[in-house]
Order: sequence, then C-alpha cells, then structure tokens
Amino acid sequence: MVGAAALAAGLVRPALAQDGTVKIGVIYPLSGNSATAGNYSKMALEVGADVVNNGDAELAKLIPLAKGGGLPGLKNAKIQLIFADNQGTPAAGQNQALRLITEEKVAALIGAYQSGITLTASAIAERHGIPFVNGESVAANLTERGFKWFFRVTPVALDFARAYSEFLKAQKAAGHKTDNIALVHENTEYGNSVGSVIIDQFKKDGFTVGTKIAYSANSSDVQPQVLQLKEKNPDVLIFISYTSDAILYTKTMKELNWKPGIMIADNAGFNDPAFVKSLGSQVEGLINRSAFSAGKPGSVPDLFNKIYTKKTGGDELDDVSVRGLQAFMVLADALNRAGSTEPAKLQAALKATDLPAEQMVAGYDGVKFDDKGQNVKAASVVTQMRGGRYVTIAPKARATAEVILPYKGW
Amino acid sequence: MSLTLVQVIVSGLLLGAVYALFSSGLTLIWGMMNVVNFAHGDFVMLGMYSAVMVWTALGGGPFAAVPVAAMLIATLGIASYFLLVRHIMKGPMLAQILGTFGLALFLRYAAFWYFGANFKTLPDTLVGGSFVFMGLRFEGSRVLAGAMGLAITLLLHFILTRTAVGSRMLAVSEDATAAQLMGIRPQRMQALAWGMAGAATGIAGALIANFFYTSPTVGETLAILAFVTVSFGGFGSVLGALVAGLIIGVVESLSAYLVGPVYKDVIVYVLFVLVLWFRPQGLMGKA
Amino acid sequence: MNRFLIPGAMLVLALVYPLLVQSLPVYERLGALVLLGAIGASAWNIVGGYAGQVSVGHAVFFGFGAYSAVVVYTHLGWPPIAGAPIGMALSVLLAAAIGVPTLRLSGHYFSMATIAVGELVRVLSSTSEFLGGAQGLGGPAIPRTVFDLSFLSATPFYYIFLAVLVLLLWLTWAIERGRMGYYLRAIKDSERAARSLGVSAGKYKLYAYMLSGAFTSLAGSLYLCMFGFVDPESGFGILISVKMVVMAALGGAGQLFGPLVGALILVPLEELSNSLLGGKGAGLTFVVYGAIIVIIARFLPSGLLSLLGRRKVTRAD
Repeated sequence: MVGAAALAAGLVRPALAQDGTVKIGVIYPLSGNSATAGNYSKMALEVGADVVNNGDAELAKLIPLAKGGGLPGLKNAKIQLIFADNQGTPAAGQNQALRLITEEKVAALIGAYQSGITLTASAIAERHGIPFVNGESVAANLTERGFKWFFRVTPVALDFARAYSEFLKAQKAAGHKTDNIALVHENTEYGNSVGSVIIDQFKKDGFTVGTKIAYSANSSDVQPQVLQLKEKNPDVLIFISYTSDAILYTKTMKELNWKPGIMIADNAGFNDPAFVKSLGSQVEGLINRSAFSAGKPGSVPDLFNKIYTKKTGGDELDDVSVRGLQAFMVLADALNRAGSTEPAKLQAALKATDLPAEQMVAGYDGVKFDDKGQNVKAASVVTQMRGGRYVTIAPKARATAEVILPYKGW
Repeated sequence: MSLTLVQVIVSGLLLGAVYALFSSGLTLIWGMMNVVNFAHGDFVMLGMYSAVMVWTALGGGPFAAVPVAAMLIATLGIASYFLLVRHIMKGPMLAQILGTFGLALFLRYAAFWYFGANFKTLPDTLVGGSFVFMGLRFEGSRVLAGAMGLAITLLLHFILTRTAVGSRMLAVSEDATAAQLMGIRPQRMQALAWGMAGAATGIAGALIANFFYTSPTVGETLAILAFVTVSFGGFGSVLGALVAGLIIGVVESLSAYLVGPVYKDVIVYVLFVLVLWFRPQGLMGKA
Repeated sequence: MNRFLIPGAMLVLALVYPLLVQSLPVYERLGALVLLGAIGASAWNIVGGYAGQVSVGHAVFFGFGAYSAVVVYTHLGWPPIAGAPIGMALSVLLAAAIGVPTLRLSGHYFSMATIAVGELVRVLSSTSEFLGGAQGLGGPAIPRTVFDLSFLSATPFYYIFLAVLVLLLWLTWAIERGRMGYYLRAIKDSERAARSLGVSAGKYKLYAYMLSGAFTSLAGSLYLCMFGFVDPESGFGILISVKMVVMAALGGAGQLFGPLVGALILVPLEELSNSLLGGKGAGLTFVVYGAIIVIIARFLPSGLLSLLGRRKVTRAD
C-alpha cells in the first residue's frame, strides 16, 4: 500500500520547477508556546539557503555548497524554502505536511521541532514517499517505526545523558563532590523523556539521583521547589526546563539565595537567546550541553554564526537553530548528489550521506545514517556560561576553555 | 514547624495575594454584569508588556509603569466594552465566550506580532532585590505586588459598598431596567466597571512583570488561575476572590512542597470542585 | 416537504464533495476536518446548546475517546477504531461521575467547574504511565490491515465522518422533536419553572450530558484514527473544549445545524489562514482568526443561523 503510494506521488512530481528552483518544505512552531525556537530556526534555515544560493566567500573554502549559484549537481537549481506553522499541535503539523507535499510539491520536508508533531507530520511524508529530515526531535520512538523516508540528524537523549555522565566523572576525579544529585524536570514530553534517560544512564555509571522533582512548565510559581532543594542541598543540580520555567528558577534561586556546587541545565530554556541575554549573568558557571560550539575563528560554525548574528541583529546561533541549520545542510548536500528531486533518488542520496566533521556547523562528528535513519555521528559538546556567553569545555578536541567550578550563579 | 515550612506558607500567602490582585478585575465585571471575560489573561499580559515598554523605552520602574499600565488597560477595557461587550450582551451567554475568546486570540497574537515571541524579563533591581525578615526571605517585587493586591481588593470593595458610584453600579447589576428608571445610565456604569477592571488588571500586570516573565502567551497560564480564584470566591465578591486567592496560594505552595509540584494543580482543582459541591455559589457569592 | 429540502440538498452536496476535489488532497482533508469539527461541536450542542449547560471541559471526553483508541492498539494490538465503542461506554460512565456533582451548579459556575475537571484530567493523564505520560501515544505507524484505517487520501475518513455526523444529527433531531427535547428547552429557559412543572431537571440534564459525552468521545477516537497520535495537550487541552463551544456558538447553539455551520466557517478559516499566513511566523494567522470571530460575535451574537431567522421574520412582515 505504502509502496504504491510512493509510486503515485513520484509520478506527479515535477523534477524541477520551471524557474529552476527546488522547493523544500519546513514545518516549525511559528506560533504558540514554542514559537521562539521555531522563529530562530526559521532564520537559521534562511541563512543556510542564502549561503547555498548566493554563496559566501569565506565558507566556500570549507564547504563545497557555499560557492553560490545553487546546487551544481542539480543544474544549479536555487533552493526555495516554504515555511509552515505547526501551531504547536500535532494536527496542524500533519495538515501542513500534506499541503506542502501535495500543493507546494516540495522535494522534501524539514521539521517539526516537537517530537509529537514530528511523529504525525512524518507519517504523512512516509505515506506519500517524500523524505523527511528531522533536525531536533529527540524522542527515541521516532526512528523505531520502520520508516523508510525518515532521517534524523540530531543526537538523542541518550547522547546527552552520556555527555553529562562523562562530565561528572571527570569532575569527580578532580575532587568535586558529586554524591548527591538532584534532577528537576518539566513535565511534558521533553522533560520526561530526557529525565528518565539521564537517570538510567547515571545508574549505569554509578551516580545516584537522590531527588527527582517533576513540575509543569507553565507553573506560576517555583518557590516551594527551590525551598525543597535548599533543604536537601544537593551537590549537583540538573535542570531540564523550557524558557518560562528557566526564568522563574533562576530568579527564585537568587531570591532565596541558594545554589549547588555544580549546576547543569539541559539546553532548551537555559539556551534560549532571550534567556541568555537577560539572565545569562545570573547563572555564571552553569554547565550546559549544546550542538553549537562557536569554535575557533574561521571555522564553519564561526562563519555561519557571523552571518546569522548579522541577520538576527545580535542573537547568536544556539543549540536549536544550529541543529535546524545542520539538517538543512544535510538535505542540500543530498539534493546536490541526487542530481534530481525524484523522491527515490533523493532517498538513496540521503542514505548515502557521509559528511565529515570539518563541514559540520553543529558540533557533530559528521553525518551518516544507520538503517533506521538515525545519524550515528551525532554528538553534543558540553558548554559553560562565562560572562553571559556559553563557551565549549568538552570534548577536548572542540574545547575553547577549561571548566571553572564551583557554580557561581549571580 | 520547621522554618522552611513557614517560608513555604508565607510564600504561598504572598502568591495568593498576587492571585487576588490579577483576579480582582475579572471578578468585578463578572459580578457586575455576569459577563465572563475569556480575554482577561491577555489583559494582564498587555499590562505586563506596558511595564516592559516603560522600562525599555524610558528606564522607568514600577512607579512609572503602574499608572501607565492602569491607563492603557483601562482604555482597552472601555474600548472593549463599547465596541464588543455591549453588543454581545444582547445575545445568549455563549456569545460572551465566543466574543471574548476571539478577542483573546486577537490580543495575544497582536502582541506576538508587535513584540515578537521572545520572553522578556525585567531586572530584579527595579524593586530593590530581596531582604531577610525574622529569618524569612522576602523578594521586594513580590511583597509590593502582594501589598498592592490587598490594597486594590480593599479599595474595590470600599468603592462598591460605601460610595454612591458603587451603589449605582450595584443597582445596574441587580436590575438594569429598574436602575434606568431611577435615572442611572446603565451603559455608563458598565463602561465604568470595565474601566475600573481594566485599571486593576493593568496594575496587576505591571507589578507581576517584575518577578515573572513576559511573553505573548503568558495570559493563558494566568487566565485559568483567575477563573478558578474568582469562582472559588464567588462571582462578584471582591473579598471572596481575596480569600480564595490566599487559600489557593497556600494550598499550591504546601502541596508543591509536600506532595510534588505536578500534583499541586490537581489538589487545587479537586478542592475547587469540592467547595462548589458544598457551596454552589462559591465561598462568598450571593446564592 | 420544504423542511427536508435544504437538509437533503446539503446531504447530496456532502456526498459528492469528495468527487469535486478529487485530485486536491488538501481539500479532501479539509472536508474531513470540517465534518470532524462538526461532530465534536454537534455532540457538545446536545448539552451545551439544547440543555443550556455550557460545558467548557468537553475535551475530557474527546481525550478519553482518543486515548481509548490508542490504548487498545498499544496494550492489546487491536486496530484503534476498536477502542471507539469502549471509549463511548466509558465516557457515559465518566459523564455520570462528572455530571452528578457539577450539573447542580448554575450558569458560569458549571462552566468553571468543567474547566477545572478538564485541567485536572489533563494533568493526571500526563502522569500516567499507562497512557504514555506526557510523551503521549502513537497509533500504528505502518498499517497492518485495512482496519487500521491508514489511507493515503482523506476521502475514506470523510465518508466515515459523514456517516457519524448524519447519525448524530438524526439523533439530535429526534430528541429535539421528542419529549426530551421539550424538557431540555424548558430547563434551558428556566430550570426553576421546569422543576415546578414536574420535569426532573437533574435527570434530563444528566442524560443529555451522557449522550453528549459519548459522541464527543467518538469524535476523539476518530481524530486518533486520522492523525495517529495523542498526548495530554492534544487530547485534553482546554483549547479543544473551547473550540467546540466556539464552533457551536458561531453557527448557532441549540439549533440542529448550528455547529455544522460553525465548523463550515471556522475550520476552513483556521486551515486557510494558517496556510496563507502561518509561514511568515508573525502570528498573523490568529490575529485574523480572532478578529473574524470578534466581528461575528459583535454583529451576530446569537450565531450565523440567526441571519436566516431574521430574514424569515421580515418575510412574515
């Protein structure tokens, strides 16, 4: 049934639009509670398309597709991004995926940020036999569905958990206290899934999470939780939070004057450019993970970051936007090698993807998909907040600074 | 009792006073006109943005922001009354939900369009940071909001029960036609109620912005809390909303501390349904 | 016979609609979405419109239906649609459990109590391992048999939804004309007066609530079959409840075709405004959507169908 569908969809698909452009559909949360992330990712993808279409002299030395003039393997076709808003609901995500495939006749889809929406949107792509490239949804089940058209570039929760565990092992060896660990996570899909993976991984590595606090991200108040933490006084505190709650926890910890020896935040809220700008100075020394590491001057991430910062008017690339951008670059590379927008050829090209670490804008070791469509070379770097900006402290190869502990806060 | 537990209860009381603060405008028009404003949370949100604007454009703290927000949201309230509410009151009760829900979406996304999706925060130094009193820690901005919550609630209660304007407003809410026969202009009184409610809501927003985050969708979170607070206390009873706010604040804080934050909403909602089971008109509402 | 002319013409139009948009998958789907919205809003209409008990917590039943469908798949391996009757049966019980304490409340207090119950269930569902917690649950990713209802085109869903809607509207029509409809109208006008005439108001309100809950649950199960995923927010979220109310109120609550008219306006408006404006990322979709609702409420507070009523009156003059 699915095979026949793919065939049918392939037949009606034009190889290239008349004007020599290739369309890519992009589904992000552009309204609703996650709109911040969606809108930053949108700008990051626009930067990516602009680099492929119009070129960038510096980047061209490092990435073959940055010479400008579109995709050389595809008759110099320029890339046109068609954005759609998933409104934060699985239904809107799926409806828009269908529209992009059947009305806009896009060659492939990118999206859709929230795991649940990625799930419904990619199901439509699978039925129509159109590649779906995902840059940022971490739910484990997405690549367990037996899909043939789904490709995930991002690392998953297990990779994050390992990165934290490695980090803590190093700190323990350096003499810091890590006996008493508290995990505080928001109670939607993101916080729950990442939280449980961290607990499992820590258990394997001999760390015990003594306190676990789940809370809802739209809480109006977090004082009781902070008081509880103050009482238990853990050595290590791990946050898995969205922006609203990250703001409240940061403010409340300062109000109640309590901080742990090591504070780790799993990305998301604590990485939101709006948070970093307004409250970065209140969480000095915070450990975070990121797919973005600005790296050394003149490196791929650094050059992309400069273009992006100019576009946003000051906000730097961050974990979310860089993962979206990386997904786009993977798709552009596959389109170029496929030399066609025919779904089967594009699918084959995606499967054959093998990008080296030097071409990465995200902090991955490269991109190569396994049979399930998961990028096996995805990785995270560990960062630390220093003077209102995250710097990379691990792994050694990418580090630009040494870690400084204990956590300083405000 | 441990000091931490005392701190939890005190924090809960302050939080409750804040709930009363941002619910007072809702209970006023709800009680006066039997109109439920689904855009109430978005009025609060715009009050918060007023404070953010006063800070970013003029560098002003709450003392500059409060009057600006009060005026802006009062104007918005009166405009909403004349352009929309006055007309939907002619229809069934459902028209209120329809109209004010549409208004809520409109305001929320107009703010989204104008201010962007990004979360904004005000520096905590605007209200002088935090202090220690009898071994308990207090945050200046929360104390200010809580105190204003009490003050505004009592002021509204005073206006409604002790002044000529208040008795005219109550007369209109009891029986608009009869009031009209007595020479009171119902529409003027109702517009006044929307203006007063708007001012109180604007002040609430401007004060909450000091310790909360401001974003276009923040009103959603606050609106449900305000609905529960107001009907818990009894429609139209300003004092009821204050008592309900304090109860909810303490119950939330205690249950978040003792049971777990995920369950604090569950406990509050169960308590709310139980209160309505025994008192279908809320704690202090008219039967 | 004039009475049946318009519904008959509507039905014929509904039957041929998929043929008219055959090679336009987005419009095939739009038709199905309108019908699904109309099922939910029409189910709500029984208790919210006819009995005048404005529930703003019907997402409880919608979510129950959606979860029933996905749970029988996840835990038993059945096709999701097999969960629909289970969800309906459970929803009747649930409606009794919620209705007995809350239906005594009058006016806005009932609305607020239903909001509280809805939020309560949403929070609880996010803590339940059995329901997949906050991550939610997905239906069959790749269809195993035809009963998994996984189609490339939305047209099969369209006809399933149409059949359900016709059944529901027929049932509503029968109630409207029968004794129960008479009682419900009396309760809506004045519960005290109805009671004094010997109508056991509590009983009939509860019946309406249970029936309404059962069909709302069916809408939820159908939603799951079509979209293949539910989590606490997309099943029990307050927006689901509000949308049912808004759809019915926009068309005309307490009228047979009111919710359908509301769905015919709102669902395409929502989809088309998102398709046209959503990609810009400035939130304009909802500015337009909200403004149109405000304008309709301002000029037609009793719903769009009141336009027809008004014309009839002038003609009679």
